[in-house]
Amino acid sequence: MIPVAVLTGFLGSGKTTLLSRLLRSPQFSRTAVIINELGEVGLDHELVETSEESFVELSTGCLCCTVRSDLVLTLEDLLRRRDAGTVPAFERVAIETSGLADPAPILHALMGDARLAARLGLAGVAATVDAVNGLATLAGRPEAVKQVALADRLVLTKTDLAPAHPALHARLAALNPAARLITASFGAIDPAELFPPAGDGGAGLGADTAARLARNGGHSHGEEVACFALVREAPIRAVALTLLLEALAEHLGAGLLRLKGLVNVAESPDRPAVVHGVQHVFHPPAWLERWPSADRRTRLVLIGFGLRLDWVEALLAALEAEVEEAHADPRPLLPPGPGRR
Amino acid sequence: MSQAVPDPVLELLARSLAAWGIAGEVQREGSGGVRLEAAGRTLRVARAAPDLPFRWTVAENGRTRGCMGIPGLLRTVRSGLDPAWRPVRLRIAPLPLVPP
Repeated sequence: MIPVAVLTGFLGSGKTTLLSRLLRSPQFSRTAVIINELGEVGLDHELVETSEESFVELSTGCLCCTVRSDLVLTLEDLLRRRDAGTVPAFERVAIETSGLADPAPILHALMGDARLAARLGLAGVAATVDAVNGLATLAGRPEAVKQVALADRLVLTKTDLAPAHPALHARLAALNPAARLITASFGAIDPAELFPPAGDGGAGLGADTAARLARNGGHSHGEEVACFALVREAPIRAVALTLLLEALAEHLGAGLLRLKGLVNVAESPDRPAVVHGVQHVFHPPAWLERWPSADRRTRLVLIGFGLRLDWVEALLAALEAEVEEAHADPRPLLPPGPGRR
Repeated sequence: MSQAVPDPVLELLARSLAAWGIAGEVQREGSGGVRLEAAGRTLRVARAAPDLPFRWTVAENGRTRGCMGIPGLLRTVRSGLDPAWRPVRLRIAPLPLVPP
């Protein structure tokens, strides 16, 4: 599985600088880079130094609006060329979105295409936030809010110009308490931050995340985006998880910006399932070889508009009760259909 | 198995109204069923008879609809209380019970 990292962030927030610095690292020597730019004249690709041929610029428009299929085709073409040996055998892919992009459709493209999903795995989403202008940008630009809300990692940039205001820290923590906050030093971060070890399948749900969310209290902030974690000690039956995801997608729809989780599935106690969802699109679960740590609790992080932790908890409790009852009841829990059993 | 609507389902229905932004009340009835009064309408939720191919029924004004499980129950209740709501037409294939 080739890891794919998505680098997003508002216009001028330092994405290209960050990527350029990362590509100079020996650890990034075998990286295919896809850069999406708005406008007819692309510049970012000129600013990113790379000697690889596996470098693609998508300048046909904003990825999120027009070129979702282009992204799929581009990735398929890259993989074809890699297989044929006409480009170096890259070991990872970095996608830099345009500054105005909504990352959700980009993640849909990565997660929803079966051929890509078989070879490419989402390593995570990083969003750059300008320490100087970030607060004002988040106040005025909904695109920036969504970029932050969807990210696994937030990279504070331009802190060499001015330290990030405490209000910016508070705003980021409110928008996405699940995300890890990293401060770039003169546009540089540890490359491992963009492509973390695949310990938890890209879910980014270590104990620190759960702790941060617990401190957050899982409440809705009265702002545009809410974020909380559902933590369960007891394993969850696969059919209950399936019904939970279905009900969440059905009732939250586009309001569910992101769902990611490490799930202790009752039928697979030693191999946790990693689930990813963006809005109403859910990726088939990936099964890890083993638990990444001693923490075997189910941890589901939900980010979106109008979310209520109490409703999700009540939903899961009712589903689990129904699934338990179903053991003594021959009536099916799931309607027949493709993929149903 | 009790014929009363279980407490977790009662709790879910009550919290669902709040989550959907619908003002109303959810109460248990003497029969063990649940009455929802919201948006000027009254819905009654009960367990379906064991010989029927679904688990729940939702009745309103003499019309009764069957629901296979909790997701269907929520869909029926929300549609009944909020005619403008359109569920996302999505079906998620069940998880493989064990890793491949």
